[in-house]
Amino acid sequence: MNALLQKVYDFVDERIDLKTLEAKMMKEPIKGGSRWAYVFGSVLLFIFIMQAVTGVLLMFYYIPSADHAYASTQFIIHEVDYGWFILSYHFWGSSAMVVMVFAHMSQVFLWGAYKTPREMIWLIGLGLFGIVMAFGFTGYLLPWDQRAYWATTVGVEIMDKTPVVGDFLARFLKGGPTPGQMTLSRFFVIHVMILPGALMGLAGLHLFLFRSAGPAGPFRGTPEELKAKTDFFFPRQVWKDIVAMAAVFLTICSLALIEPVVLLEEAKPDPGDYHPEPEWYFLFLFQLLRWKAFSGEFGQFVAATAIPGAFMLLLAALPFLDRSPERNIFKRPIALLSWAVVMIGILVLTVSAIINREFLD
Amino acid sequence: MAYPATAISSIKLAWALSWAAFWTGFPFKAIVALLLLAAQIHPWEGTGLVALLALSVPIDIWALGLTARTFFLERMGMEIRGSVGAGLWWQGAFLGAVMLWIAYYAVGATAAVCKKAAAATLDVVKKVIPIPVAEQITIELLMWAVPATIVVIVLLLIWLKLFGWRIKRFVVASGQTSSADLQERVREWDDWRVPVDSTLMLVSFTAVAVLLTVAFWVLLPVTTTHRHPDYPPPQTEVVKKKVKPEELLKKTDATLAKAEAVLELLEKEKAKEKKPASPRK
Amino acid sequence: MASVQPKIKSKVRCVDGEIGEIVHVIADPISLEVSHIVVRANGTQRQVPVATIAAVRDDSVELLCNAAQVAGFPEHKPEDFLTSKQVEIPHLENRIHVEPGDLLVPFPVLEKSCARRNFFAGFIHVIGALIGLPLVWPVLRFIMKPMYAPYDNRWIKIGNVSKIKTEDVGVQFIFKKSFTDSVLQREEDKNHWVIKATPETLKKVYPHGDISFTDEKGEVIWVNKQTVPYVAFAGKCPHLGCGFKWRSHKTRGQVFLCPCHLSIYDAAGTVLDGPAPRPLDVLPIKVSAAGVIEIIDVEYKAGKKELVRIA
Repeated sequence: MNALLQKVYDFVDERIDLKTLEAKMMKEPIKGGSRWAYVFGSVLLFIFIMQAVTGVLLMFYYIPSADHAYASTQFIIHEVDYGWFILSYHFWGSSAMVVMVFAHMSQVFLWGAYKTPREMIWLIGLGLFGIVMAFGFTGYLLPWDQRAYWATTVGVEIMDKTPVVGDFLARFLKGGPTPGQMTLSRFFVIHVMILPGALMGLAGLHLFLFRSAGPAGPFRGTPEELKAKTDFFFPRQVWKDIVAMAAVFLTICSLALIEPVVLLEEAKPDPGDYHPEPEWYFLFLFQLLRWKAFSGEFGQFVAATAIPGAFMLLLAALPFLDRSPERNIFKRPIALLSWAVVMIGILVLTVSAIINREFLD
Repeated sequence: MAYPATAISSIKLAWALSWAAFWTGFPFKAIVALLLLAAQIHPWEGTGLVALLALSVPIDIWALGLTARTFFLERMGMEIRGSVGAGLWWQGAFLGAVMLWIAYYAVGATAAVCKKAAAATLDVVKKVIPIPVAEQITIELLMWAVPATIVVIVLLLIWLKLFGWRIKRFVVASGQTSSADLQERVREWDDWRVPVDSTLMLVSFTAVAVLLTVAFWVLLPVTTTHRHPDYPPPQTEVVKKKVKPEELLKKTDATLAKAEAVLELLEKEKAKEKKPASPRK
Repeated sequence: MASVQPKIKSKVRCVDGEIGEIVHVIADPISLEVSHIVVRANGTQRQVPVATIAAVRDDSVELLCNAAQVAGFPEHKPEDFLTSKQVEIPHLENRIHVEPGDLLVPFPVLEKSCARRNFFAGFIHVIGALIGLPLVWPVLRFIMKPMYAPYDNRWIKIGNVSKIKTEDVGVQFIFKKSFTDSVLQREEDKNHWVIKATPETLKKVYPHGDISFTDEKGEVIWVNKQTVPYVAFAGKCPHLGCGFKWRSHKTRGQVFLCPCHLSIYDAAGTVLDGPAPRPLDVLPIKVSAAGVIEIIDVEYKAGKKELVRIA
């Protein structure tokens, strides 16, 4: 068996220089050794693949028409064998993806791996972050129940308030002045064709640039320590990546079993007793918009566009503003403090939004 | 360069071990939890919780043993004879149980007191400055969550300090300094992760995983357990009894015969009653 | 560019004279600088640290030390090194050029163990295969759900026997069939053929006596009695499923004729000519006292000799 595999290997190697390819892909020495802290990027790739697989399976039965979207989603849940499980996996997988994006961005930020010469990787990463959030936003509408319809309506209305481009953007997404079939068709094609293509393209570029620059490695350690622990990307880092993927897979499966997807009633133009709410990872922004301090047209603009926009611009400018070569997070107090404030702020606002539900009745 | 056993902070020591040991054990506990869930048993309550905790004990002992031994060798330059996991785990677990019990009351009390104080304070403030609902929710949340979190962190640090102190005693008591240099020590603990017979290990791991996967398939419900009220489960068809015409005819004949007999009897009785009742003039 | 770029094959000069030549250059993978040169002198190869280099010229290198000190440097062990082509260290080859020959980098100690490498490579393949495994069964069932849907055994009214005027003549009955198609309620136009058969024709339709129809479990759901003169044929040709007609043939008289591949059947459904593998499919039929014809819309796999029910 091994001899046969060796023959196949030699056959391919003669034609495409597999040995050099192997060396370049797999034998990348990681200073300081493989670390569990480096797995988040690979885990994100794994989650994306699982989302694509479960998403394609859902497309076997989903009908993207306003008349049948709800019924076909209920069909998947109640009629198709294990349909509830595939749909719930897809749903929780999207939450897992957002959590991992925050984890990955935090790890890169805390390790100072956005600094020279990795500026382009960081910028493309921000683009990928936007794509992941867009995935969550567009996918949420597809079941066409009250929750989906109203979360989208409110979200697009908020986008409408963006100066200059807001009205155009909102009409583009809605496919008209009001939400309807055109909205569903547009969200569907964006979710299953445009965003996956964009993600694959940008992720490929992100990986290529990462390999060109090499991994940044740990932010502390003497050269002796770094050399003593150095090992190759394959097998040790790949092994850590794959164990992390398995742990994430088990967690998503468990969540799918604990809390399977249950739809509300079918979407209708009157929200009735239902209080519109976006998905959990947008709740912090949603809560911010409820503050009286941001009431009025200008206030809403500040909370919905100015603050998030300024924050994203700050993140984009980060590698160009922060030119200090120091990467040890414990020696970068401003960085550590700002990260903690942002994370805690998002957490506090999210919890506030959940508490706020009781006040709505 | 190795830290001598006394130089390292207890908290850092206990943290390094516990954090690593937790995540080492996590994938195995996740497998247990997933199988329980597939069998529709909740792992956070009742029998499910008991099963999960019971199985966590050997998993945690193994994980703690591995991570502790690695840390002792690389960072402290100490080799330990005898079992590490069992020796350390019960100490951490005992201390943890005590701290959890204290935390339950301490954190609960802090949160309750702070919630009341926050509500009272805001009531007073609102008389002077109106506070809108959304802002009020966040302010109240911070007023009780921050103190409660501080209490949690303090208790956690206490647990880490105590556990760290026990770990140091353990190392000093059962360990001896290794003479190897850093590279050699790193290579040694890295080697522990390679089993002596890797083929046996991989084959048995695969066999167990395949068995567990099949168990998962058997247990996983085919249709959702959380049905939407508008989609009730389909009615099972009533099994129609086969009609046997001859038997039916016989039954009908018998019923008819009975009915005729009863009718005759009734007529006879009626005739008897009529006779004495109608005397001829 | 790295600060020191010695060339392989340069002559090496100590303070007390020429001792040999450079055979390898070793780089440090962390600093991306040259860390040692390997000098072949007196038949051995010595690893000389770069700090000892005083000057680098076109074809020679001058050292700060003397020949005796060079002999004291550690011997070069080739098994402790890899060439820069065998590993991927970004930007290393941009910074350091060595010609002719290879730039060496240290072989990470942890990676030297073959057992370790093989074990983790194997473990990666095992976990990789196992991650997908829990999904295999649910995904297969998910995809296959509609593929083996249970048969539709409903009785459908297709018309009245009063439409049939002559015996042994095929009469087409077009009707609307409503059915559930995943979440949609749809209606399709379908057609079947009914004949009022003479006793001779009936004998040809029922050569082995009554025909019974079963469900998936094998239980009989209906029996077509050979005494009933009305015979319903499924409107799809058993060859490949085309719709056929009742036509006059040049030589054979009135026949069922399929326009797709020219299968010809007589009034009893027997194959007279053409590629049809079996006679026309007989449907379960019920005729009420008022003459209302009801059939079960049974479908069999086209192109096969045996009857394999599919719907």
